[in-house]
Amino acid sequence: MISTRTSGLRAAAAAGAAALLLSACGGGGEPGGTTSGGAGGQTAKSGATQIVVDTTFDIKTIDPGREYEPTGQILVKALYDTLLTFADDDTTTVVADLASYQSNDDQTEFTFTMAPGRVFSDGSPVTVDDAVFSLKRLQGLKGNPSFLLDGVSVEKVDDQTLKLTTADPSPALPAVLATPSCGIVNSKLVQENGGSTDESDAAEEFLNQTSAGSGPYVLDKLDTASEAVLVKNPNYNGPQTPVYDTVIVRNTEPATQKMNVERGDSQVALGLSGDMVESLADGVEVESVPSATVVFLLINSDPAVSELTSKPEFVKAVKAAIDYDSLIEIAGRGAAQANGLVPSVFLGALEDSEALKYDAAAAQAAAQAAGATGQKLTLSFPNDIDPTGLNLTTLAERIQSQLSAVGIEVDLAPAPFATEIDAYRDGKEQIGLWYWNPDYMDPANYLAFGPGQTVGLRAGWKQGANAAIEELVSRGYTTGDLAERKTVFEEWGKAMNADGPFVPLVQPGSNVVYQPSVTGVYYNPVWLINVAGLGQS
Amino acid sequence: MTRRSPTARLWRAIPPGLRQPLGLAAGLIALAWLVICLIGPAIAPFDPLAQDLPRFSPPGEVSFLGTDELGRDLFSRILAGARVTIGLALVLVCLSMLIGSLLGLLAGFFGRWVDEAIMRFTDLVMAFPTVILAMVTAAALGASLFNAVLAALVVSWPQYARVVRSIVLGLRGNDFVWSGRLLGFSAVRSIRVDILPGTMGPTLVLASLDIGTAALLLSGLSFLGLGARPPTPEWGSMVSAAVSHFDKWWLGVFPGLAILTVVISFNFIGDALRDALDPGVAPR
Repeated sequence: MISTRTSGLRAAAAAGAAALLLSACGGGGEPGGTTSGGAGGQTAKSGATQIVVDTTFDIKTIDPGREYEPTGQILVKALYDTLLTFADDDTTTVVADLASYQSNDDQTEFTFTMAPGRVFSDGSPVTVDDAVFSLKRLQGLKGNPSFLLDGVSVEKVDDQTLKLTTADPSPALPAVLATPSCGIVNSKLVQENGGSTDESDAAEEFLNQTSAGSGPYVLDKLDTASEAVLVKNPNYNGPQTPVYDTVIVRNTEPATQKMNVERGDSQVALGLSGDMVESLADGVEVESVPSATVVFLLINSDPAVSELTSKPEFVKAVKAAIDYDSLIEIAGRGAAQANGLVPSVFLGALEDSEALKYDAAAAQAAAQAAGATGQKLTLSFPNDIDPTGLNLTTLAERIQSQLSAVGIEVDLAPAPFATEIDAYRDGKEQIGLWYWNPDYMDPANYLAFGPGQTVGLRAGWKQGANAAIEELVSRGYTTGDLAERKTVFEEWGKAMNADGPFVPLVQPGSNVVYQPSVTGVYYNPVWLINVAGLGQS
Repeated sequence: MTRRSPTARLWRAIPPGLRQPLGLAAGLIALAWLVICLIGPAIAPFDPLAQDLPRFSPPGEVSFLGTDELGRDLFSRILAGARVTIGLALVLVCLSMLIGSLLGLLAGFFGRWVDEAIMRFTDLVMAFPTVILAMVTAAALGASLFNAVLAALVVSWPQYARVVRSIVLGLRGNDFVWSGRLLGFSAVRSIRVDILPGTMGPTLVLASLDIGTAALLLSGLSFLGLGARPPTPEWGSMVSAAVSHFDKWWLGVFPGLAILTVVISFNFIGDALRDALDPGVAPR
């Protein structure tokens, strides 16, 4: 009998171990917050209102000069004002915040006049010196966002004015300055706590514990693993009207986010995939729009990497082989076909009629002409990252099946992001499945896909590969007039669709799920949502 | 002495552990899985890689166990996955047994510095947490089923080496071994004729107990993206894909049940074999 019992125990232990291993492997971050919001974002305590926002954390720091991760952008946007900004859901027109600006005709000199009377959270005035210090600090820290102001010289003109100068025309600079990383810090306070405008700066730890901005909220508490608590800035005198006294942003696993928002434990959930949104319970609202993330295929033009992928016929075959509608179906709610590399929310995005089209017969013919028969290629992609909730492995499996249908055989080669990124950056992938999030809200971001540019080189697309597209890239960087700029980017987009080694696939949906009592939920490509703009009906 | 009926003789042939109702059920399940390994693809109602069914169809609507996020039939994928998971588990266990037994034999038979060198190396490998070491190895080698087996092999041979060494230490002092050596048997012949047969029983028990664990380890590596490459139907990677679709319960439950039943049933068989081969356990 003892033996029988041992057998049973062993079996039970094995079963338990199986469950444990799999659950341990799958365990994600639990909601770290202990504070529960209650439906509608109300708390009974002393009439104060609070709102709970669930998201998946990727915070490394909330020092504006150093942060460059989505969650960091949400928090820094609420804590620090910028010289310029974008209003609500508009992503095309820059408006004044801490300053108004004028530029010269060449778009090389930008003069900013500080708004009068604005103060930091400690009551001290926001001055030109603070703006100059903050922007020089961003450049000097050589952190992740420092590239935003590469080649920009910052100087104080007088007590009301500062001037930014660039060697080349920079029509995108105002949009860049609206990025939360360009937030203006209280220079006196930051310098007292080790801050400087070079790499000797030691203020990061201080800024992770205390905010030093003029934004509508101040930092009450930050735990980079679990939650951030923001409270209303009593001295805020800017154009926004924050409603909630306390904003709690919690690190929560997407499946838990869904349950929390459905039962009212949180008021806003930012991390739900298109598929999860499809099965939401009644009683919650969803803001579903195509995100500004573009998922694309890279087809290497370098014959040293692959003779086959470097053939223009092969690129044409792949572009025609993909059934874009079926990819949108996988991407779920809010997703749309990426008509070009510039996503739909930006100036110069292509119309639906200009998007790449599925044509199996043409794809088959082009694949045969390229000599794809009997050859096997590798499709590489990162498998531990889901841009805007879209699982790249699922997408890659669908693409593999569609390519196979027209006679192009690929092996899937998933790898962790940290491993695969090197092969991608070094231009070693035959075919890569990647995505691009905008760094700032201007289509100039996407010119990096041109020949000889950062992403172009990753596809082995060197300078001189396509003179017409290179001319458009150069015009894209320098054209200041909005109408002309729109035309240039549209022409560039069409030319890239026709001849570029990239296949824009989908813009996954951005799904912000919220309680019906919450108002002012607008998706922004850079800071996702503006928590200070959230209201209450 | 009475003559037994053929049925009774068959019953006696079954190891005692498997004669319990639970043991019998486990044995039948294990047998069923082995049969599925052989004929699975032939009885699958759909092509396990075809993406032509509706996505996320629940069990019973368009297919027996429903469809996954790409419209593939889950039942066909589980059948095809049996060959991958169980087949590779068997390969892994055989290789572990071979390498571990060989090192154990050498260490036990030759003793001295050979024993010291092999056993300290074995201790070194065993000092690392099994799953972590397998994960690190698989991550370093790159994601593929071959590499996953290699990574699992790195962590699973030491137990065989230790068991075999301890048996050899007990055997090598016996008179029959000494007699052989005095008759001029070479070391190889002595190991082959006198020592090896004595190690076979316990090693087989260990191996049979290990099949479930091996299946679990390989599925675990695939779950973490370090084993099977998509679109290979492997149970661990199927559970992994289900994680992002919590509300589609069938995606994770059925491949999970497949892993569970394989682990439990092979453990029962291991227990039964141990009872049958270990003279210390009285037959019941």
